Amino acid sequence: MKNFCLNSRSRTGLVAATALLLNACAPGQDTPTPTAGINVSHYLAVGDSYTAGLSEGGFTLASQTYSFPNLLAKQLQGVTANAAFTQPLLDAGTGTGYLDLVDFTAAGFPRTRRVAGQAVVRTLINPAACGGADTVRVLTRSTTSSALPQNLGVPGITLSQLETVNLGNASTATPTSVFNPYFERLLPAADSRTYLQAVTTAASTATFFTYFQGLDDVMPYVRSGGQCGALPNTTLMKNNAKKILDVLTAGGRPGIIAKLPAIITLPLLRQGQGLVLEARLQKSFGDTARIYIEDPFGSGEGQHITNSDYVLATALLRLGQLTRVVVGTTSLMLPYGRDIRNPVRNSDVLDGVLELARINNVFTIYNNELDRLAGVYLMPVITEAGTKRTLDLDVSLFNQVADAISIGGVVYSAEPVRGNVFSLDYYSLTPRGNGLVANAFITAINKAYHANIPAVDVNSLPTTAR
Amino acid sequence: MRLRFLSLVPVFFGLTASAGGFDTGPQGARVMGLGGASTAYINSIAGLSTNPGLLGAWGDSLIRVSLGGIGQIRRASFVGQDTYRRTDQELTIQPGGYFYATGAVSKRVSIGLALTTPYGYHTKWPNGWEGRSVVQESQLNTYFAQPTVGFRLNDNFSAGVGFVYAYGKYSQRRALGQYDDPAAQSQFSSSGSGYGVNVGLYGRTGDNLAFGISYRSGVQLKMNNGTATSTGVPARDAALNPASSSFKTQLNLPSTLSVGIADRITKKLLLTFDFALSGWSTLDSLKLDVAANGSTPAHRVSTARRYEDALAFRVGAEYQASPKLTILGGFHYDETPIRDEYISPEFIDANRICASAGLSYQLSSRFALEAAYAFDYGQLRTARANQQMEQVANVSGTYRTATHTASVGVAVAF
Repeated sequence: MKNFCLNSRSRTGLVAATALLLNACAPGQDTPTPTAGINVSHYLAVGDSYTAGLSEGGFTLASQTYSFPNLLAKQLQGVTANAAFTQPLLDAGTGTGYLDLVDFTAAGFPRTRRVAGQAVVRTLINPAACGGADTVRVLTRSTTSSALPQNLGVPGITLSQLETVNLGNASTATPTSVFNPYFERLLPAADSRTYLQAVTTAASTATFFTYFQGLDDVMPYVRSGGQCGALPNTTLMKNNAKKILDVLTAGGRPGIIAKLPAIITLPLLRQGQGLVLEARLQKSFGDTARIYIEDPFGSGEGQHITNSDYVLATALLRLGQLTRVVVGTTSLMLPYGRDIRNPVRNSDVLDGVLELARINNVFTIYNNELDRLAGVYLMPVITEAGTKRTLDLDVSLFNQVADAISIGGVVYSAEPVRGNVFSLDYYSLTPRGNGLVANAFITAINKAYHANIPAVDVNSLPTTAR
Repeated sequence: MRLRFLSLVPVFFGLTASAGGFDTGPQGARVMGLGGASTAYINSIAGLSTNPGLLGAWGDSLIRVSLGGIGQIRRASFVGQDTYRRTDQELTIQPGGYFYATGAVSKRVSIGLALTTPYGYHTKWPNGWEGRSVVQESQLNTYFAQPTVGFRLNDNFSAGVGFVYAYGKYSQRRALGQYDDPAAQSQFSSSGSGYGVNVGLYGRTGDNLAFGISYRSGVQLKMNNGTATSTGVPARDAALNPASSSFKTQLNLPSTLSVGIADRITKKLLLTFDFALSGWSTLDSLKLDVAANGSTPAHRVSTARRYEDALAFRVGAEYQASPKLTILGGFHYDETPIRDEYISPEFIDANRICASAGLSYQLSSRFALEAAYAFDYGQLRTARANQQMEQVANVSGTYRTATHTASVGVAVAF
């Protein structure tokens, strides 16, 4: 009986044993071992705004930190220790500035204000640019400029500029010359190298690449409602894509080539889809007014919007606001876009008949070429069906987000802010949106190279990169 | 004679039904040790909740009381389909208990009372786990009170009918993962009650073989007093997720149909067999009807469950080791009512095999101590969330469940 009186040591032992016993009641499961299948120790990311990590209408330390290549690189590091990934990081608090949320309109559109950035060395102003004066801000040089960074994403770069000498040379830049300040800060001062030369140098040490480029080629056309800039020359796009991919895939280097998502999946257009937008405004205004757009053939007459016309998101807040228009000989205050006499201007809308058809044509030609090239380079097959060697982001992400998807109980949609995928500029991704893109790449890598790279827990990323 | 009863077996298999779900197991230490095969088992009055028809078997001059406590630890582990991360449910103990009393009113009529906790679960995942926006914690407790009347039809047959009053409490909380604040949460809690009936028949053929059949109706717990609260919501979305609103819901608990036989093999050894069919298909979906609040209109939060009817097969053995000590053992197989497409971390279940052991020690001729332990082990289950069904909150991965249940109690006759 005296055994029932436990001394303190055996009491501790009993507590420990009980705790151990109780903890042992969670039944075990085997977890897959993360493996890469290929050498991912030196990853090189090539692309434009999305690859660079533009977010909330700006380029800041936070937006770079949550770029999809950086999120992808973190997952690769979990598989291959010592797999470094360098980005041309801005200093904290500097950068181009970004958009901040003020509030929502009655129709649920976010109102924003711009927070200025402080990393500007000088500005180049082109007062005669299409659509108003254009300011180019030269940013402080990246500390990685002596050796190129592994994230070679350059906001605003186009494929047509691939072999432009002095693209990143501020000393020769003029307000009207072809100059990219984001590329400039990746290079040493007064460096005349082209983007292709920079990619060639960086690729020499790379063991793995991602290529997601071409969206910025059409963005000037899209953003101006088809009024500024010609559509990109598809032959030049195709040829230059081949030049850059020749370099990236040299020696059978493994990588993922991503095709461009359909432009209407981006909220810049998606939020302004003709009749959907009309219904949304009717609900918030409590009336039955239709939306009218200018006749796309240039007569200036108003016509009822259709579901294949898209009002640019940048014009959404102005719809329904009273603006002065001259009708006949009288000057009237009429709601913008919601009166046949005051139709949405051509520069605020992409019509389905001409402009969108042209853009889609460019995308189709370019994406088909990427498919063809991937076959030429003998890239591994990515799709379940076993036919495609390129990553179709539309299928794996953008088309789904254009409606809404649920990930771990959180709903993601193309709605800015509340949808948690696209940032306030209606174009670039939030950190979670970047996580979703990174996961699309990871799924592709796992499939193509029989790898087991764990996905990013998207829900644990911040909702904004402000 | 024995063959005739065994011929019932294929009939039940033919129903393509599958028991399990969130029943908390046999309601009594002695029947737990027996693996729950108690439809035709009269050595414990705990059989009262399974089969009211047994009541006539205790129609002698004695008043019997049996009471005890039950503790259940049900835990699952999860491995994310794409993240490969393993998460273990936190340790929770689901408390339960039972109280039975029987006594004869006349030579033919007996009355009894059963207080039990037959359904419930307590699922608690770590607050920051992968599926936190699906569920962090969910809890259901039910309490059944069943006054029962038993009739002795003749020396070999008796029938019983019980009235069931049920009370239940339900609560659930989950993270609002669309916001940055890790403490952003929505919580639901409510309670309510419902009614049902329980009828049963018990018969003996000679001294060695007995059979029982019983049916307990389903119970609809109507919960009209629910409160839904949310915290950590940014001001811009205050209208979408109001801090507090009321809601109504209804929880359907399944009907059960059980048949069982008990066969005395030798003087010291008794074997029992049971089939139980649980009508889980009445649990179609969990609908939380949230009332309007300010500018937020009334809406329904609906989670599809689509449970299927479920079958359980149970075997028990009782061995008289000495005049004072009885040893019990049991085994059962429970099919899960949860289909693959509707696996939710709120309550994880799988086809389970279960082994149990127990004992009854007669301290005196009128007073016995009883204890039992049961261990359930579930099949690996794979949940695949369909991202494109954005109205369904789920997380993809695999689950494995194990359940430990222990019970101690006393049985008294006077």
